[in-house]
Amino acid sequence: MGRRALAGLLLVGLAAAARADVPVESLGRVETLPLPPGPHWAWVGDPVFRHATLVDLSDGRTLGIVNAGFGMPTVLTPAARPEFYVVETHYSRGSRGERSDVLTIYGGRSLAAEAEVVLPPKRAHAANTAGMLALSDDDRFVAVFNLTPATSLSIVDVEARRFSAEIETPGCSLAYAAGPRRFVSLCMNGALMLVEVDDEGREARKTRSEPFFDPQLDPVTEKAARWEDRWLFASFESWIHPVDLSGAAPRFEERWSLVNDAERVDDWRIGGMQHLAVHEPTGRLYALMHRGGPDTHKQGGTEVWIYDLASRERLQRIELHGLGFSYLGVPLRAEGFTGWLIDKLADWTLGMAPDIAVDAIAVTQDAAPRLVTVGAVSGAVASYDALTGEFLGRAYVGNATNVTLSTPFARTGGWR
Amino acid sequence: MARMDRWMTGFARSLARRTSRRSVLAGIGTALVGGAAVPLLPVARGRAEPAPGDRVTPSGEPDPTTPAGDPQDCGYWRYCAVDGFLSSCCGGSHNACPPGTQMSPITWLGTCRNPADGKEYVISYNDCCGKDVCGSCICRRHEGDKPVYYTPKSNDIDWCMGTREIIYNSTVAVVVGVAREKG
Repeated sequence: MGRRALAGLLLVGLAAAARADVPVESLGRVETLPLPPGPHWAWVGDPVFRHATLVDLSDGRTLGIVNAGFGMPTVLTPAARPEFYVVETHYSRGSRGERSDVLTIYGGRSLAAEAEVVLPPKRAHAANTAGMLALSDDDRFVAVFNLTPATSLSIVDVEARRFSAEIETPGCSLAYAAGPRRFVSLCMNGALMLVEVDDEGREARKTRSEPFFDPQLDPVTEKAARWEDRWLFASFESWIHPVDLSGAAPRFEERWSLVNDAERVDDWRIGGMQHLAVHEPTGRLYALMHRGGPDTHKQGGTEVWIYDLASRERLQRIELHGLGFSYLGVPLRAEGFTGWLIDKLADWTLGMAPDIAVDAIAVTQDAAPRLVTVGAVSGAVASYDALTGEFLGRAYVGNATNVTLSTPFARTGGWR
Repeated sequence: MARMDRWMTGFARSLARRTSRRSVLAGIGTALVGGAAVPLLPVARGRAEPAPGDRVTPSGEPDPTTPAGDPQDCGYWRYCAVDGFLSSCCGGSHNACPPGTQMSPITWLGTCRNPADGKEYVISYNDCCGKDVCGSCICRRHEGDKPVYYTPKSNDIDWCMGTREIIYNSTVAVVVGVAREKG
């Protein structure tokens, strides 16, 4: 065979290989989430679509959703087990009929509803999302805040997957984890109620502290952040009230201000739906700030200010980028100059009106942490380098509105 | 371009400070629950009388000849502490819920100044319940609002308690009396 003929045969062979059919694939495959989980995962909740979306901020990919029923979708993540917990309210006919409140246990890999615990149908609903439910530090019990308007906590044993007890908290609301078997609630007089539960999740001890702030003069918001054994509460007037809960009784540390005198005169203050976040490995506090007068405590922010918690010194101010535009989950994006212009419009319009602002922030807990921002006016999630403040881009997760935000491994770094 | 960015941002923010929020298209979903502030009682009843002592009745509009204002406008005087969707944009009116909804019997009261006569009025903000969120005329004014643990003054709370369903649709603002002093 001549050299020419050989080359011809080779070409035919290559062409045949190039035309090989796509292999037949199997039907019915469903993805599972990876273990270990990613360090930059975040849950973003949409009360309009009634679900929360899990997004990986490392690449902007949507990983999956959990349904949440009526209300603000909030997801709890234990460190001990690969699971997620969602408290849901449903009616038998959608928006009417028989009410059922449940805590649903989702598989951490399957993201499928594996079990549910029926709750008394009295959980509180509010536009506020902070402190509405809490997971004890030993990952055993979840406390759900009830309001009828009598106040109480429903305690769920998430290890045994059963309802434990209802504990009355007269005059006190919400729940924050404070120890292996302890929750704290905020009271109308500016005090704390400490609720300890026994091995069965029943009330073991209930104590009230002295008031540590004046709810008439300058109330603290519900949107506190955990820093090891402390909870940091921010007041309407931007004072941080650290509460050390390492001992049997809370220790109220001296308050400190997020703003200096000039900034106070200039009307800088904290605001938004979730306005504090802590990066525990570096001891940094992130606060969502805006300019506005009294009664703007729920107005979203245009900047994030970063503090060193040990020295209480401010390290940096980050001017936030716009949230990005979307319509019912569809991103409004374009290539080239138009895309650039849309991006810039998002930046320019941030803070232009009280409702066009960043409503919630969160920070991941890894060594290269991300600062995450969302707002109700957009279905996009923006992320920044939490150490330098550099803007890293936006992920469009398909939501109509992003109202709740949490980084699932805020204190644990992933499932053990 | 960076300079233009700064200029535009500065312009936008200064405009924002001068722009009333009612002129702004707000995000749906922010305020799934309705509300308003400055109450008289830990749990005020919508049709109940105001607290004894510093308040007097009678209820109703201040004066039939007074211009009523625009009840579909968030700036309308009696909405001073609302956080929610205005019933008047949702098939109801400023003091009646949309058809087919139920008015929450449990609510809280606010105190708003009527610029037409300069008087402070006690306003009962009742949520309209049992149908999904209206979505029209979001109105977020938080005068006197307090956090959830200060329950009777928190406009974040879904007050659809005591109705068949806790599903929130919109909010009304009913005059229930004249306040002698700002509550």
